[in-house]
Amino acid sequence: MLKVVDVDVSYGHARVLHGVSLELETGKMLFVVGRNGAGKTTLLKTIVGLLKPLKGSIYFDGGEISGLPPEGLYHVGIRYVNQDKKVFSNLNVRENIEIAAFSSGEPLPQALEKVLAIYPKMKEFLNLKAGQLSGGQRQILLIGQALVGDPKLLLVDEPTQGLAAVVINEVARILQHLKGKVSAIIVEQNLPLVSRLADQVVVLKEGKVVRVLSSAAEIGNTALLEKSL
Amino acid sequence: MMYAIMYGLTIGAILYLISIGLSLTFGTMRVVNFAHTITYTVGAYILIASVRALGIPFWWGGLLAVLVAALAGYCIERLVIRRLYGESLDYTFIATYAVFLIGVDIVKWIWGVYPKPISDPIGRVADLGLMVFPIYRILVIFLALLVFFGLELFIKKTMVGKIIVAALDYKEGVRCLGIGVEKYFAIAFVVGSLLAALGGVLYAPITAVHPYMGLHVLLLCFAVVLTGGMGNLRGTFSAAFVLGMLISIVGRYWPAGSEIVVFMAMAAVLFLRPIDI
Repeated sequence: MLKVVDVDVSYGHARVLHGVSLELETGKMLFVVGRNGAGKTTLLKTIVGLLKPLKGSIYFDGGEISGLPPEGLYHVGIRYVNQDKKVFSNLNVRENIEIAAFSSGEPLPQALEKVLAIYPKMKEFLNLKAGQLSGGQRQILLIGQALVGDPKLLLVDEPTQGLAAVVINEVARILQHLKGKVSAIIVEQNLPLVSRLADQVVVLKEGKVVRVLSSAAEIGNTALLEKSL
Repeated sequence: MMYAIMYGLTIGAILYLISIGLSLTFGTMRVVNFAHTITYTVGAYILIASVRALGIPFWWGGLLAVLVAALAGYCIERLVIRRLYGESLDYTFIATYAVFLIGVDIVKWIWGVYPKPISDPIGRVADLGLMVFPIYRILVIFLALLVFFGLELFIKKTMVGKIIVAALDYKEGVRCLGIGVEKYFAIAFVVGSLLAALGGVLYAPITAVHPYMGLHVLLLCFAVVLTGGMGNLRGTFSAAFVLGMLISIVGRYWPAGSEIVVFMAMAAVLFLRPIDI
């Protein structure tokens, strides 16, 4: 479904990714782990088109997408959930979903239904300014927004970062619910969660892929994951 | 004093109409647009040309002026502003200031440098009890309020408005939802140009229309936008009227300081609430 081949990315003169390659199969959840500054967010931003690779290629469903803008990639089914839990804070929750519905062409009631299916409590907040939601609720809204339309690939950046334990469980439940239904690349530092959900783990270190774990035994071993970082 | 308050409301109304575009342009595109008030100047001149040379009634001339200025705004956006998205603020200063200077020279070339007066189209006063006040100026205040509520409605009820608000907040987020923001930026820019031209049309009978009228008002509008918060449309509205009132009331007691206080107020607001550009 997605193939990243030998991608280099830099911010100005600072090269952040060095020859990164990875492959994701349809319906699988690939987790990217690594210390701060390893280039995880840069990798997602490059796939979604917010950054342009210096070299290398990215293929999605057989076609090359490297360097294409995010506006276009949305319409081929690639969705990005940002790390900062940034929603459109001056619009209410319904309007946040409405924009995604408008862009994807999905009727609003259907889009709302999708979001409420993963988090029924959101119904109470539909008329609340999205900026007033808690961090966890914003994260769930963003994931819900990404599910509107016909997503084929979710790129989710640090979904549990900065969240309370109880909210992490809620986000984990939602990700578990999505497993097998949609392909996803998820950047995550919560290794027990990674162990629980991942089909494949890619370890990034200083902008390079240093390890790829694919077997359930390896992925289930959080001590090994920790050691790989 | 009552007259100063009413005059302050008039100035506030004009400042509001002109400042919205600046606020929107910076808030969405991160472009500091020095060319903004050229559409204000063009609006005033087209009105004068329509009324004097073509004999068109004031309000129809005003409508024509607003439409021509909106077209000019569209051309400026397509030819200049669109190339500045994502560029450093220095480039946007230089390029838009160049557009402003070119615009001023074109105005001078067509209409000359001498100020051109135009009469208040209503020419009557209303008795407000304690004072009489020109009906035209009351109408200007009323129109600014109408624009404010119209804009609120546009922002809240239309998808274009919602996308503009979303882009003011988080442009990349809108792009990642598959929406090309440039089209919406262009709409925001043209709306801003149109309202600036409306400001020029409405202010023309109150002030002298001359090629550099935009430069003077531009500085005041920057003060309004910085005080109200860049991209904050309600803040722009409040700041325009507060600063308009300051100009008028201080001007009554200390004419030389009437505009100094505007920049002092702006500095105080920036000191208390620094902005990150």
